[in-house]
Amino acid sequence: MEPYRYTLLWAAGTVLFIFVSSVALGAIARWIAQRRGYSRNRLEDVFAGYAFAAPWIVGFVLFVVAPVLTSLYWSLTIYRLPNPPVFVGLANYAKLLFRDPDFRAALLNTLYIAVFGVPAQLVVALALALLLNRRVRGEGLYRTAFYLPVFLGTNAAVLLSWVFMFNANTGFLNQILRLLARAFPPFQEALRLFIFIVESTNAAFLGIQTGNFTLLQRVWQAGLPSPERVPLWLENPLWLKAAIILLLVWSCGNMMLIYLAALNSVPREFYEAAQVDGAGPWQRFRHITLPLISPATFYNLVVGLIAVLQLFEQPYVLLRDRPTLAQSGYTVVYYLWRATFRFNEIGYGAAISWILTLLILVVTLIQFRLERRWVHYDL
Amino acid sequence: MEIAVRRWTILPALTSRKWIKRLASGAVYGVLTAGGLVTAFPLIWMILTSFKTFEEANAPRIVWFPSALRWENYYVILSRPEFLRAFANSIFVTTLAVGGTLASITVVAYAFSRVEWPGRDLVFILMLSTMMIPPQALIVPQYVFFHRLGWIGTYNPITIPGFFAGGAALVFLLRQFMRQIPRDLDEAARLDGASHWQIFWHIILPLCRPALATAAVFLFAAHWNSLLQPLIYLQTTRLYTLPIYVTSLVNPQQVVQPWPTIMAASFLTTLPLIATFLLLQRQLIGGIVLSGMK
Repeated sequence: MEPYRYTLLWAAGTVLFIFVSSVALGAIARWIAQRRGYSRNRLEDVFAGYAFAAPWIVGFVLFVVAPVLTSLYWSLTIYRLPNPPVFVGLANYAKLLFRDPDFRAALLNTLYIAVFGVPAQLVVALALALLLNRRVRGEGLYRTAFYLPVFLGTNAAVLLSWVFMFNANTGFLNQILRLLARAFPPFQEALRLFIFIVESTNAAFLGIQTGNFTLLQRVWQAGLPSPERVPLWLENPLWLKAAIILLLVWSCGNMMLIYLAALNSVPREFYEAAQVDGAGPWQRFRHITLPLISPATFYNLVVGLIAVLQLFEQPYVLLRDRPTLAQSGYTVVYYLWRATFRFNEIGYGAAISWILTLLILVVTLIQFRLERRWVHYDL
Repeated sequence: MEIAVRRWTILPALTSRKWIKRLASGAVYGVLTAGGLVTAFPLIWMILTSFKTFEEANAPRIVWFPSALRWENYYVILSRPEFLRAFANSIFVTTLAVGGTLASITVVAYAFSRVEWPGRDLVFILMLSTMMIPPQALIVPQYVFFHRLGWIGTYNPITIPGFFAGGAALVFLLRQFMRQIPRDLDEAARLDGASHWQIFWHIILPLCRPALATAAVFLFAAHWNSLLQPLIYLQTTRLYTLPIYVTSLVNPQQVVQPWPTIMAASFLTTLPLIATFLLLQRQLIGGIVLSGMK
């Protein structure tokens, strides 16, 4: 059957199903409330409440509770559709944690991106918000420009434009870097230092991944790269994560908006009082602004870390069919997709999903634990 | 007044301080404008490239502007039936999913904001806690579920689940908005004998239009950009949506890619997003601050 019509028929059926289950759920709730002796007016509220909330309740059972419970079982099996699952105990988890170099690469890559990428995002977002908070003319226009990448940033078409710009020889980015390096010698030195830092940190991480540190030794022995060197973005395992981090920083507009809202709510009198006491701009920033916007920093940090754990589109488009680079760009979700659906390993995929869920839970819990130490809510 | 003051300031200290101030504000604008250009640059470069020739786009030295306004790349991509089909597929999937999700989250938000029922707070907390579960973690078991329903290779898995109020964050956003609507309105209507459905349809829904617009834009972007789920479920070229089709234009076997054509396709893919964003950006940015900080 024609694919559109097929789905439209199912959609109509779904609407009918939701309607029937809503009325049914509402009626059951009303019946129970009636037996408990609720007044007439409240009975109507009970019916309406459950009937209106029913789409979510039914969807929650069908698409969240059932999958979560079954996937817990499947993660303990070898399951290749359409064959039935075979119970193997904790074998999947043992393999993932101890014998799967690709998964370890995915975890370490995610760690790298979280350690270097999220702070970079926070700093850039805060800097932009501070500039915008100076009551500049055309604030709305700038805000729009900075927010645009959040809206477009995961679209494959926009990411392709980045792939084009990242090309090491003819790409826009390196062309501009070459021009600038030739025109300003200090910039050239800064670029060399930047290349050296990126390559040595990446080589160190690669060393942890493989247990082989020869690459790091070579980077250190070579010292500062030659003046003609440019970043190798998508051509070299030492650069792929830097490219992904650049994409993340580019799309930090969401964090900037949160910071902007927080900065707006800091009372002006605080600054005036501090100025009277003789506090300079840095002291005012350090002792007034930073503590007062710490809830926003906390929120951005949690959301940013979770987003890094869920990265998929960026590595997919940047990595596409560059098998030599693959390991250096795997993220947890990218590897989940690859391991599960390329090779039809449902059981293994279920185990990865559980580890991902636990990771996000742990990250969030740690954040909330540490929150008390540096976040100030009293204003 | 301003001019008069400036003309008569002869104290050098004052003038220099003024100059520093002016210089500082100039620097602020400079940095901001540079930042804006950088963030918009991938789009600008995409558009410029889409008008270039193959040689201009892959030249060893930057060619900033195309030598002429060439529409050839757009002709090339628009004459490919696969591109047009992918475009139609994307429109179909996005419309259906956004429509279904929007209708259901509005209904559910009403239950959480305007009706008093036992168990409401418990269900609401349950819903908020689902935001902790990454959607990607549910993909594997959901795949099995859809496989059993015979839905693999159809649009059902990427459209139908939304009908069940998919997206707790948006329900939350709408609920926050509905709570701000004064209670007297529906209490008066209830005294007149109106049912909850009538109140929802005639009073609450019309007042929620700005929040609905915000939610619609978010949903539109999420479905239009969606890559992982279509990759998993669609599986045949005929069903591909735009993001999958566009990435397939890059041929890894070739050393040099036909970038002008790819960028023309990319621009056409992003155009609906850019247009919606520019039209509704005010509501959007308001919505983020509302849902993010409260």
